[in-house]
Amino acid sequence: MNPASISITPVLPLWIMIPLFCLACALAAAQYGATRKTLDKSRAFILSFLRLLALSLILVFALNPSLVTRKEQRISPAIAIVVDTSQSMGQAVPGENVTRLDEAMAFLRGGASPLLTAMKENFDVSVYGLADSLRPLEAGDLDLLKAGGGKGDVNGTLERLRWKNAVAVFLSDGNLRWNESAEPRFPVITVPMGNPKDYRDILIRGVKAPSLAFRDREAIMDVTIRSYGYEGSTLPVLLKDSERLLAAREISIQDDTEETTVSLSFTPSEVGMKNLSIAVPPQVGESIVGNNEINLSIHVIRDKTRILMVSGTPSMNYRFMRAALKDDPSVDLLSFVILRSPSDILNVPTQEQSLIPFPVETLFSKELTNFDLVIFDDFSYPLFLTPDHLESIRNFVKGGGGFAIIGGPHVFHEGREGLSQMADLLPFRFVERESYRRDSPVRVKLSQEGAEHPMMRLSDDLSGGESDPFLFWQEMPPLDGINPVEAKRSSVVLLESGKGIPWPILMLSDYGKGRVLALATDCSWQWTMGMVARGKGNQAYLRLVHRMVRWLTHDPGLDAVQILLPEEGASAGQETDVRIQFHGKDWTKGADPAVLFSVVNPGGASIESKLKPASHPGEYLLSFLPKEGGIYRIRVETPVGHLEEPMVVAGPFESFDAAPDHDQLKKIAAVTGGKYLSRGDDLLKAVEGYARKMERRFIEEKRLPIWATPLMMAIVLGLVSSEWYLRRRWGLL
Amino acid sequence: MISRRKFLSAVLSLAAGWPLFRPSLSWGSPFPQFYFTQIKYRGGEWDPNPLYAEAMVEELELRTSIDASKERRVKELSDPDLFFSPFLYMAGRYEFDPFTEQERETLRRFLTYGGFLFAEDTVGAKGFGFDRAFRKEMQEILPDHDMKRLPPDHAVYQSFYLIGSLGGRQIVNPYLEGITINRWTAVMYSQNDLSGAWSRDRYGKWINDCLPGGDFQRKAAFKTGINIIVYSLTSDYKKDLIHHPFIRRRQNV
Repeated sequence: MNPASISITPVLPLWIMIPLFCLACALAAAQYGATRKTLDKSRAFILSFLRLLALSLILVFALNPSLVTRKEQRISPAIAIVVDTSQSMGQAVPGENVTRLDEAMAFLRGGASPLLTAMKENFDVSVYGLADSLRPLEAGDLDLLKAGGGKGDVNGTLERLRWKNAVAVFLSDGNLRWNESAEPRFPVITVPMGNPKDYRDILIRGVKAPSLAFRDREAIMDVTIRSYGYEGSTLPVLLKDSERLLAAREISIQDDTEETTVSLSFTPSEVGMKNLSIAVPPQVGESIVGNNEINLSIHVIRDKTRILMVSGTPSMNYRFMRAALKDDPSVDLLSFVILRSPSDILNVPTQEQSLIPFPVETLFSKELTNFDLVIFDDFSYPLFLTPDHLESIRNFVKGGGGFAIIGGPHVFHEGREGLSQMADLLPFRFVERESYRRDSPVRVKLSQEGAEHPMMRLSDDLSGGESDPFLFWQEMPPLDGINPVEAKRSSVVLLESGKGIPWPILMLSDYGKGRVLALATDCSWQWTMGMVARGKGNQAYLRLVHRMVRWLTHDPGLDAVQILLPEEGASAGQETDVRIQFHGKDWTKGADPAVLFSVVNPGGASIESKLKPASHPGEYLLSFLPKEGGIYRIRVETPVGHLEEPMVVAGPFESFDAAPDHDQLKKIAAVTGGKYLSRGDDLLKAVEGYARKMERRFIEEKRLPIWATPLMMAIVLGLVSSEWYLRRRWGLL
Repeated sequence: MISRRKFLSAVLSLAAGWPLFRPSLSWGSPFPQFYFTQIKYRGGEWDPNPLYAEAMVEELELRTSIDASKERRVKELSDPDLFFSPFLYMAGRYEFDPFTEQERETLRRFLTYGGFLFAEDTVGAKGFGFDRAFRKEMQEILPDHDMKRLPPDHAVYQSFYLIGSLGGRQIVNPYLEGITINRWTAVMYSQNDLSGAWSRDRYGKWINDCLPGGDFQRKAAFKTGINIIVYSLTSDYKKDLIHHPFIRRRQNV
């Protein structure tokens, strides 16, 4: 404490105070003169002196004198202790029966004189846990601390701690997110946990694989492998489809500090989702075996949709459909037109004809599986194809191929006898005594199923802004000719004739894994030219043909129900939302919803899931919590079929690198101006070094107003009382 | 359905005990994929060879699988049914009146969206009469597309027959001309009077002589006609890769 001093802060200006003091002196002198008449000189002086003293003291009080005392104060430095609680801290320390987190706790709280207690005596200590986020820990939390969560963000943590603390102490294995160039920087003392020298593990750090692959074309994926403690070893890398081995390569680990990349390839032979896994078999002594495998899904598609179209005769229908198919760059069309029937007479030698033999045997016995879709356009196929060929077509469709039959006088008239051989494949039956007719133009109308079917979703602008699909189809030009047939119960009629008997015009059905379409007219080209005649374009027809092809070839974009997996992927232990979209009919609506949703885990068991509406009509979110990694299956079942989509959920250890990274801790300490604490270093001493630099002191000043003290009041009263007493004693009162 | 003219011919023939019509011919398909639709325009002479269709359709049905109708249809450019014509045919000898803007727009839309027009200058006078008027109209209707000589490897020369030389009543040009829009030759033009070579009277007699080639030239005219018709119904089908080796082998290329 510094010596006290007195400060004066007058409540009245000095030019008032001085006259007042003079006035007091004058009053005392006047009193002296008055009392001198009755008292002797000494007594008169005493009374006047006492009066002057009392008045002077009152005037002194107006000067507001204060007693000032100053004291230097010291602020105890704030220290933040950050304990890394991320997943890697749960790893065991080689050779010891404790985890890295246990090691950190023992460092803080172990021994006869725990470090944490000692630090709290000297500093203002706050303890935090750091994983996905930074959270303050109370004393009781330390007992319950568990490792889990992702890598902690060092930069974000320092940003939060820098304002209060003099120094931060990080107890970590170095698996932290750290941007060296980012601010802020304040001293960080890093205390390493774990032992990198004895750590042994092999992990697949990442796979660069295309999300799309083309059927029958090699798909290449680059696999990056990291190993610790296996220098000089040769490791196999396996690519598997379920349990089937697709490819295998061996890698030699030359240097443990480097990553090794190896390319694996396979050639998918089927379209659809391919669920693959890439794995390195577990090795002896590995710390984690869960990161030796990665699951991935690749969507295998056709590079081009290969279509075989056979037309019974040159016709406008063929030409317009050919133009529409050729208009689609994703279509590879091979077409044959029967230019000459066996009864036609050729009048020129062969070298003057352009006709080529129709390679029936090659196409329908050998090459059929190379196509995705077969179209018979007004083709009287019994004249050209044998029962074996027809059987091949049935098998082709059963196996997943598409088949379209387009009407006309040949296919449903001359060829109707032969059609019976394909009866089970086709979505219609013949009607007795009804054959191809061109008696009067036939308008078509959209059926209810047609309005809901994604194939018939021609965009609104094609109808000139008319959004009503029924009206749009009613305004389509009438057809000159149709084939009257009866749709099977199992088929879906999309278009039917508008007046009289509603003959089905456009029908769909499933056959095995494949799809079948029947268009009971050879005049669909009139939809193009009819619209053109009305001043509109040909987009509606082109779109219809393109969508027919897409539906027949199982384009997922045309499925009535679609499952959209989260783009960011999914991880075990995290709530996952899968988007379900209904195009056309929403099967969840109505009193008796006719749709079932389920999520099946890698073990084949159905797990709990919840369905909730999303922001758009017909769109839902299916939420579930995957507890483990692997391939999950999302299933949606509707009355018109079911859809199943596999989904890869990353396991807790997938690509998980838990190797202690003490170099990163050294770097953090160096860049922030802190210190990397080696084993045996005294943390308390290191902290004190930084704390001293950051120690803050300040002077505390206290002011005591003198006039407000009772002593001063007593003195004034004492003077006045003494004067009163003496006056009375000396007979003046 | 048999036409009244056919019916009377048949009855008279039978009454006379002499076949005025060729008994081997069919009446045409009940569901034709092909028929001629001839444009009737103002001015000039829109129908220089009125009897061309029957013989051509007979030949077409005899040689190919195409179901065709012998009855040609005649339409003006203002007729909306024009758009449903698989094969628009236009012929003439003389200069004709310019089309109206509405007619031009109709023809422009028809040709742009997949229609087909075969036109013939039956006189064969380059730069005069029908030739001048037709070229001018085409320039007006499709200003961005020029009428060009069709190259020897064009699909029309391979669509059914492998044609090395064109026929016609006369040989003014040894080639066809055409306007191609997006790989589709929507307009074909000849000055060789093909329809003149096809024309036959009701007694089966050719109406015009083919000069200088005679019967060979007439046969070539039919082959050219068949190829044009097959092209109009199949487009460039014969340009597909699968046909290449066959065609090249037959052409000894």
